[in-house]
Amino acid sequence: MSTPAPRRPSPEGRDGPLEEAQAWSLVSYLLAGLITFGGLGLLLDRWLGTSWLVLVGLLAGAGLAFYLIWFRYGTR
Amino acid sequence: MSALVLAAQGEGFTPPGKEDFWWPIVGSDTSAWTLTRPAVLILLSVVLIAWFLLAATRHRSVIPGKLQFVGEGAYGFIREGIGRDLIGSRDFMKFMPMLFTMFMLILVNNLFGIIPFIQYPTMARYGFPVALAGITYVTFHAVGFRKKGFVGYFKDLVPPGLPAWIVPFIFLLEFVDKFITRPLTLSLRLFANMFAGHLLLLVFILGAEHMLLDLGPGLKVAGLLSAAMAVVMTFFELLVEVLQAYIFTLLTALYIGGALAEEH
Repeated sequence: MSTPAPRRPSPEGRDGPLEEAQAWSLVSYLLAGLITFGGLGLLLDRWLGTSWLVLVGLLAGAGLAFYLIWFRYGTR
Repeated sequence: MSALVLAAQGEGFTPPGKEDFWWPIVGSDTSAWTLTRPAVLILLSVVLIAWFLLAATRHRSVIPGKLQFVGEGAYGFIREGIGRDLIGSRDFMKFMPMLFTMFMLILVNNLFGIIPFIQYPTMARYGFPVALAGITYVTFHAVGFRKKGFVGYFKDLVPPGLPAWIVPFIFLLEFVDKFITRPLTLSLRLFANMFAGHLLLLVFILGAEHMLLDLGPGLKVAGLLSAAMAVVMTFFELLVEVLQAYIFTLLTALYIGGALAEEH
């Protein structure tokens, strides 16, 4: 944690607009996760007559979005 | 309590709402032929920007004059700070006309929100951000499909190196992100910031006017406070308006850069 080494450092070695722009685009990933997998859960709930799959879907969607964000931007 | 007091002392204060954004000038219904204030303002902004850029570039010299300095500063900021950094030195120049136009158009229309007598942020009508986000959307997907081919573009949605079992889920997530939530968040962020900011100014200004003019001496103090807040929020709005124009352009460049980048 102390010395994060970015794989794509900007020319001057500072935190350029790339990091800033990526931070602004995270909302989109989180929303996508919640909508997609929450929606799938809701559909499955309707189909199977249950009521808890929407919650599982929302949690899984948020988790998956966080995982993807970590994988894309955190591990570089 | 305060609501009761207000209601008891002075009838007839209508809090600002979404009706304050509906300003027909010619015609009065919601048909396509009604000329509205934001429609006039966006045309005015085009004229102003064209005038500014022509004036800034007419007498170009090595030692720039004031206008040239401002014009070149704005262009250089977008080109070096956004275009080159986010799209890459190889491809960014052909997107510069679009990025710079977007930035100037959004900036001027946002600033309209606090310019006296104009005082209406055009982007607070959702149609305008939708049109701009639509241009971004079509551009970055077209660029991606052209660069990687139809199948290749979809293949490239998923970053390499993921465990195999998670790939379908990530693909779904990336697909929804790139095709649905990106244009949605891009347009909503600009619209909501301008809409909420303008509404906030209306609340403080109309509230101050009402309390100072129509209500008793006790509430005149509150009216003064409200007027002071209106001034503070106007400066805050200036910050938000510039920032939102910057973020919109920044994300457009990021999306184009992402569509062009090869994932290996």
